[in-house]
Amino acid sequence: MRYPAARVATKDHPRSRAKMHVPSASPAPTTRGRRGPPPKPPTSSRGGAGAPSAGRKTGLFAGYRPPVDTYDEIFDARGAPRPGLDRVVRLLEGIGPNELRTRQRLADEAFLKSGVTFSVYADQRGVERIFPFDLVPRVVSAREWEPVRRGLEQRVRALNAFLADVYGDQRILAEGRIPRHLVEASKGFLPAMRGIRPPGGVYVHVAGIDLIRRPDGTLVVLEDNVRTPSGVSYVLENRTVMKRVLPRIFAEARVRPVDEYPLRLREALVSVSPVEPTGTRTVILTPGQHNSAYFEHTFLARRMGCDLVQGQDLFVWHDKVYVKTTRGPSRVDVIYRRVDDAFLDPEVFRADSLLGVPGLVRAYAKGNVAIANAIGNGVADDKAVYPFVPEMVRFYLSEEPLLPQVETYVCDREKDLSYVLANLPSLVVKSVDESGGYGMLMGPQASKKELAEHARRIRQSPRGYIAQPLVELSSCPTWCGNGIAPRRVDLRPYVVTGRSTWVLPGGLTRVALVEGSYVVNSSQGGGSKDTWVLEDQPR
Amino acid sequence: MISRAAESCFWLHRYVERVESSARMLQVNLGLLLDLDLPAFERWRPVLIVAGEQPRFESLFGAKATDDAETVQDYLTWNEDNPVSILTSLRWGRENARTIRETISLEMWETLNAFWLWLSGKEARRLYRQDRHAFYQRVREHCLLFLGTWESTMPEGEAFDFMRLGLYLERAGQTARILDVKHHTLGPWTGQVETHVDNVQWLAILRSCSASEPFFKGNAQLSGPAVAAFLLLARGFPRSVRCCIDRAGDSLARIREQGPSPVAGERLGVRDDVGKRSATVLAMLRDHFAKRSIADVVASGLHEELTGLIEWVTDACDAVHADFFDPPVDALMASLVAPPQGRASELEG
Repeated sequence: MRYPAARVATKDHPRSRAKMHVPSASPAPTTRGRRGPPPKPPTSSRGGAGAPSAGRKTGLFAGYRPPVDTYDEIFDARGAPRPGLDRVVRLLEGIGPNELRTRQRLADEAFLKSGVTFSVYADQRGVERIFPFDLVPRVVSAREWEPVRRGLEQRVRALNAFLADVYGDQRILAEGRIPRHLVEASKGFLPAMRGIRPPGGVYVHVAGIDLIRRPDGTLVVLEDNVRTPSGVSYVLENRTVMKRVLPRIFAEARVRPVDEYPLRLREALVSVSPVEPTGTRTVILTPGQHNSAYFEHTFLARRMGCDLVQGQDLFVWHDKVYVKTTRGPSRVDVIYRRVDDAFLDPEVFRADSLLGVPGLVRAYAKGNVAIANAIGNGVADDKAVYPFVPEMVRFYLSEEPLLPQVETYVCDREKDLSYVLANLPSLVVKSVDESGGYGMLMGPQASKKELAEHARRIRQSPRGYIAQPLVELSSCPTWCGNGIAPRRVDLRPYVVTGRSTWVLPGGLTRVALVEGSYVVNSSQGGGSKDTWVLEDQPR
Repeated sequence: MISRAAESCFWLHRYVERVESSARMLQVNLGLLLDLDLPAFERWRPVLIVAGEQPRFESLFGAKATDDAETVQDYLTWNEDNPVSILTSLRWGRENARTIRETISLEMWETLNAFWLWLSGKEARRLYRQDRHAFYQRVREHCLLFLGTWESTMPEGEAFDFMRLGLYLERAGQTARILDVKHHTLGPWTGQVETHVDNVQWLAILRSCSASEPFFKGNAQLSGPAVAAFLLLARGFPRSVRCCIDRAGDSLARIREQGPSPVAGERLGVRDDVGKRSATVLAMLRDHFAKRSIADVVASGLHEELTGLIEWVTDACDAVHADFFDPPVDALMASLVAPPQGRASELEG
């Protein structure tokens, strides 16, 4: 590469996405002396003081109080550590603010030096920034994690069965469990994929299921990402840096490792290879170095030991995929692609795509190459299909869903539509096929004009919109330059599926670093935290 | 290896070599000016010519500006419209490294990234303002650190040899260009009687190639022909053109020898003639040096010799590009005419 290539944005990157949840609680404290007393409790603009302190917090967490009406990940309403977390809280308390400040600086330097960055599109030169990292971990007890893990596994199994069905017999549509027109109108539904059975029957090799926590403490699914979910490299890099800057605490904390992710993914991919595992050539297909998740693509290639390729490096001959090597063409058996469906094969999808490989779909249809994730998965994470996931669990697995999800009104259904139109000021409206917070309306914050404009759009194309009630995100103690204060978090766990399914312990915790903010998106003041799932047996 | 990755390996080292070479030349020129009272037009214009940037520079700043030390140095060091400025070269070197992070060693990436963070940050600008000599020295040190890290951490193999090929082809061209400075400063060189000014300049040219001490160790007397002989023909001096061509040739031979990758096995459509064009060009160059004496060079004119060499090196780079980096898909498909046997049964079984 000598010259910069064309820039292409992937839709599904967590950094290019605004995820917003309207605040209903008070903002966090605004004044803090540089060397003054520890952070003051939040003052509420809506009345109601902060949660009563149990008064037992010392050291790092002295004076920490979560906002009212919010579930805090680490402390309960009385200020005591949540069950199973005492040991880790005691360890963290031992760090003073000065030491934490120093360690935080070391962590930031480590990220910059190792080039763990993402590109910012606005600048022509592709300025790289580090994804802000907060040193205070989000901690999950073993006991709490186990049901989440099972729930995620179940959900991914159901989504996979759904994809196999809609691109196969369409039983679920024939039986009217999901409205046919809803599925057929989905932009993610690709009729060309009907009748193509991917190798091993696996559609969702990698899933990122976004979870948020309600004020009552239940973790609920906010959305599914079963196309090209990203962010896992940050989970691994966060952990590496964490171990380096807080080695003593880490050694004592007994945290489940995340390092095996690349190997698990490689195993899963090879397990669905059309040829024998030892002779399989697996490649990662990236849109190129201007993609905001490019770091992750190189990271995975390094850690999985695969070649990283771009569309121009591959070609199809007699329905088989080859990579151009310095020794001539060489067969490719498995492609972990980080290129969106629309750009994958100009013969079938967008003809102007330079990122794809002409003929790839033909090779895929013949079973000559495995593509992960499968083509056409967008229909399963369509926001208007999301309300039917619990139905999928019941229909395909004959089980009750283990993970709840956010109540959702599908404007395409007449009853829902009238409810949404009548209650617009209290709802969050999302456009079904857009991510990045585009086309989103935050009812309580919207002006009359915006509400009217959105109502008009919803009436015009009801299939294009869904609405949800506001969800208060949980908070987690976070370093704010001078002390520890509560900040909002969500969680994206990763689920890897080949012949079997594996859930990465924890996932990517994103945090809204700006006081009172609900936006975990990095371009708007979002950052990430290491997520610690503790081993269940205390030493 | 993947053709595009091989190309990035090749260019990564070309860019780093370019950065080091530019820094060295600018640094030496600063020193040279202290020793000599040259007319203004002879001070910085030759450096621009060697970089191949005189036309663009003049179109941007006017012909008169070639006399201006600060404008020229700024242009060759920082200017982002200049495709060979130190900053631009390093940016592209790093971009190439970024596209092949899965290929290069972690240490190479960290060394190069630290270099980039330094050069694009405030500290480098401050040093540039306060102590120009120390600034160029630091740039060179970063490059050498990178090259040392490379040799100490990168496994041998195709990727390593493409880097080495890029490094030595670039360096062969750079040495030839530096030697040609003399021509651009004092006009055609005849190898006749030399003055004090000539000597100081020859010495500067040796320094530009980090060659003054190795030169004198060989018991040579300072003279035009001796310097030219050393920089063109010395065996085993890592900046002489001949040595660069030898090393590039070795790397190319190793690249051509490497067997099909074990993963691909018999499914690889290997072309026996892989790298044939590059090998032909490099063999001609090696052949040329094997027969060449400095008397031949003096007879045909040093400038003419160097111009020819630079073109030759460019041809070699083009050949490497055509052979390895950008094979036309049609040709690749043609190499696959007999579909590999054994695949069908694998699929059915």
